[in-house]
Amino acid sequence: MALDDGTVDREGSERRRGMEQLVMTERIGILKERMLASPRYASIEQAKIITETYKANEDKPRIIQRALSLKAALEQMEIAVEPEELIVGNRTAGVRYGVVFPESGSSWVDREFETLPTRPQDRFQVRKEDIRYFREVIRPYWEGKSLEDVLRSRYGKEIDQIAKVVKINQKDHAQGHICPNCREWLAKGPAGLEKEARERMQAASGEKRAFYESIVLVMEGARAFMCRYSRRMAELAAEEKEETRRREMETVAANCKNIAERPPQTFHEAVQSIWFLFVILHMESNASSFSPGRMDRSLQDFYQADVAAGRLDAQGALEILECLWLKFNQIVYMRNAGSAKFFAGFPIGFNIAVGGQDEAGNDFVDELSFLFLKAQEHLGLPQPNLSVRIHENTGDDLLKAAIRVVAKGSGMPQFFNDKAVIPSMIGLGIDEKDARDYAIVGCVELTTQGDNLGWSDAAMFNLNKVLELTMNGGRCLLTGEKLAPDYGSLETYQSFEELEAAFARHLTDYIKKMVQACEEVEKVHIELLPTPFLSAVIDDCMEKGVDVTAGGAHYALSGIQMIQVANLADSLAAIKQLVFEEEKVDGARLLKALRQDFKGEEILRARLLNKVPKYGNDVDWVDGLGAKWAGYFREQLAGYVNHRGGRYHTGMYTVSAHVPMGENVGASPDGRHAGQPLADGGMSPVYGRDITGPTAVLRSVAKLDKSLTTNGGLLNMKFLPEFFSTEEGIDKFARFLRTFVDLEIPHIQFNVVRREDLLAAKADPERYRSLTVRVAGYTAYFTELAGELQDEIIARTSYGDI
Amino acid sequence: MTGTVFDIRRFSTHDGEGIRTTVFMKGCPLRCVWCHNPEGIDTRSRPLFFQDRCIGCGTCRRLAKEGGMRLVEGRLRLDVSKEEDWDGLIEACPAGAIVRDSRVMTAEQVAVEAMRDAPFYKYGGGVTFSGGEPLLQAGFVAEVLKELKRNGIHTAIETALHVPLEAVELTVPLLDQIYADLKLMDPAAHKRATGASNEQIKKNLEWLLRSPKRGAVTVRTPMIPGMTDSDDNIAEIARSISKIYPEVTYELLNHNPLAQAKYHLVDREYYRKEAPGRYSKEQMAHFAEVARENGVRDVRVG
Repeated sequence: MALDDGTVDREGSERRRGMEQLVMTERIGILKERMLASPRYASIEQAKIITETYKANEDKPRIIQRALSLKAALEQMEIAVEPEELIVGNRTAGVRYGVVFPESGSSWVDREFETLPTRPQDRFQVRKEDIRYFREVIRPYWEGKSLEDVLRSRYGKEIDQIAKVVKINQKDHAQGHICPNCREWLAKGPAGLEKEARERMQAASGEKRAFYESIVLVMEGARAFMCRYSRRMAELAAEEKEETRRREMETVAANCKNIAERPPQTFHEAVQSIWFLFVILHMESNASSFSPGRMDRSLQDFYQADVAAGRLDAQGALEILECLWLKFNQIVYMRNAGSAKFFAGFPIGFNIAVGGQDEAGNDFVDELSFLFLKAQEHLGLPQPNLSVRIHENTGDDLLKAAIRVVAKGSGMPQFFNDKAVIPSMIGLGIDEKDARDYAIVGCVELTTQGDNLGWSDAAMFNLNKVLELTMNGGRCLLTGEKLAPDYGSLETYQSFEELEAAFARHLTDYIKKMVQACEEVEKVHIELLPTPFLSAVIDDCMEKGVDVTAGGAHYALSGIQMIQVANLADSLAAIKQLVFEEEKVDGARLLKALRQDFKGEEILRARLLNKVPKYGNDVDWVDGLGAKWAGYFREQLAGYVNHRGGRYHTGMYTVSAHVPMGENVGASPDGRHAGQPLADGGMSPVYGRDITGPTAVLRSVAKLDKSLTTNGGLLNMKFLPEFFSTEEGIDKFARFLRTFVDLEIPHIQFNVVRREDLLAAKADPERYRSLTVRVAGYTAYFTELAGELQDEIIARTSYGDI
Repeated sequence: MTGTVFDIRRFSTHDGEGIRTTVFMKGCPLRCVWCHNPEGIDTRSRPLFFQDRCIGCGTCRRLAKEGGMRLVEGRLRLDVSKEEDWDGLIEACPAGAIVRDSRVMTAEQVAVEAMRDAPFYKYGGGVTFSGGEPLLQAGFVAEVLKELKRNGIHTAIETALHVPLEAVELTVPLLDQIYADLKLMDPAAHKRATGASNEQIKKNLEWLLRSPKRGAVTVRTPMIPGMTDSDDNIAEIARSISKIYPEVTYELLNHNPLAQAKYHLVDREYYRKEAPGRYSKEQMAHFAEVARENGVRDVRVG
């Protein structure tokens, strides 16, 4: 923000110049290459240790069994360090290993072990001897005892019954999507937490005593784990001849030992400590997405103290951070083949939030915020998932620094809007101070920090499948199977209102069944997967003596994703206009065409596609249909309380679920063929149908009230690189984001369109109708240009100079 | 009052400051052989046919009794000279491949549509009138401008000034930014390239550069290979405008070869078989230098 005397502007530009001089060191290049060249294996090492520990402790309570097996893993798992590493630690000796975790799910591993190296998505190499050991020793022990098996026997039939509409998650793995209290971890360390648990244990009895005892056990394990890394690095250092390198290695060794014994005192120690926290959380739960949250805030004091003392400069801090950034890419999460379709490409979600407001509502930014962006710019890797929080008082320097990184094309950082998120969280019952300190977990899921079991991926709800059942008398269009009651069909509805009333009834039915299923899932988690280590870093668990799964956390939410409002709005609009208003299409004929996937009805399909306005073009009545039904869904859900006493709320994001969920839906009145993907993103229009430009998209999306996306919303937009090629372009982009803030849209991310996209657009124009390029005097749709011209633009784009 | 608009384009980022909506007014008195928006030349509204949207269903051919939609060498062609019920055809085409090239709108309709992006204008954007020649419909444009100014919206225009002075006088007080073209200084060359004398244009420009709004004027010359890009032309224009107003802003626009793609739509011939490439940075810098040497202090390259 420009002040009268221009001080901040001057500081901003100095900071920018300073940042431009920072480099990615040779060390980082070496480590990155080595990491990317490593093969990815499925690992049963921890599964062996867990199984042995359970066998030896069968009489003990589950929480103690869990603690003992985590402790054993921390003490026994093979470890490895690289001599160049400034930050060490991983949950397996190899990088990016897929960990088999028998407590949560081993049936699927049994079914899919052989296909892991060849399946279409997220492959892992396997070792023959591992498969044998797994089948002979591990699998038999867990048969009928794992989360997956227990849930299936108790409630599997009911979950399968609604599976065409609702995907219930966390059926074979622990709940992730949690932001631990990093500040408390840094302030106390494992030794401090262990001491606290020991003291509380004195006065406790029964389950509470077991809870505190389990924390003591896992913290002992954590300290041992750190000490093992310290020794390993010290051994390597002893062999190192080169003086500087040896001293660096000794520092890393000392860091690990120090933070096992006391809280970190330097920036380097603090970063190492943060990394161990996340490694151990993954070892305990093998879940997706533990996120560090606002790390520029949690590390700020360490950084400033080191700089003030002359121990550290920006370049040194950046190198440490880039070592951490590499580490974030070394843990992946192995899912079953079905889930891998919904969550393709290992979205493990070490989400870091940069900037934003502080608890008092003032702008927060630190030099570290800029260093985080710089690290992303240098590395361009999928992790961490970098998020910039912006609001009305975000400075131009941070905003533009972020845009410059976006321009590099990694799709990061993504932007979150404090002006949308904070009030909507308060509306959900979160304290203002906590809402202002929100962070993001996983992809776009919103959370308070360090005090929340948000269960943000409880289920995904396919609104379009419900519309299908509404149109077809409760029957699946693909199979003809009767899935729901017959409340009427396109053949019987006399008015659009009648159709809407039936749609509402189906929605209400399915929401009820979904909530019951979520309840059952939670119960099994409480019973089988208590998580003492996580509980130690989530507020209130320690005070209450209650595990986080059982409701120990200060906040206890459950998030449901609505899939996909864009297709729903387009389909409803087509029915409303063509069938009931203009009466140009007979309802029965439309239904017949949908059943046949438009075979022989290409003209009707063209009409549906082209003669009815679509969501995303700032057409109020169409956008309004989406907003209305998302609102109805939210209201219905708000009537339920989850098993931990918290609220259900809604999100609008899909990860990659729009593809498998689309496979599940027959032809739809928006002109979509059977089985085709639904809209990507969550709040985004169907790709190619937003033909009025990016400002119209924002206006359309803004009509979805911010309260609909308290669990997270996702808006995906594509821009050509040309837009970012000049300072003027970056400046206009910054203004675009300022209006994004004003419009109270929770999230936006940008794909910078590259040559490959243009080639794809040329080959498949229907899908890329909205892709625009600058022609002469105005902007044209790329797919409407002549082939040769497209070629010319493609040729130019490869030089990034349209 | 109604006007004929051939496009209202949101998120225009090249037609003035900030994020803008550009209203393209139909019809132009000039016939520049390199015209970048040939679909905006004719004042009359006409149907257009977009081949790539067509699904080949044959509906239009059945309905076009006079042969206005015909297969020519295997490709469907629209023949605007045939008397067809074009609006009926447009309505019937399920693919939206036949569309009208323009809309007749009231001033209020245009203003409402142009203000849909008002939240974006807050950070330095606004509405730009372009064309065609927007001042050919000066009365209408003035109506819309009044409505925009009532709502505090920044306004701009791109004009070639080949209109009566009254049209300029009527609109200029309502404009915050004026981009005025002067393509060629030599009257004969101007006539050859644009089909019209530049006498009126020069007169209007002189009036503009002596008006109180002259600070908001940017004079522009598009650099067209072999047409406007001679040092002499740039030098003469530079001398002439800087003599009237030494602080004048002068912008040299790089040639854009991509316009050629639009000519087939409106049955026009582009002035060259092959569009020449764009000028290099160095060439543009040279043009700017020529303008500077001839008295203009504020030269820009776009």
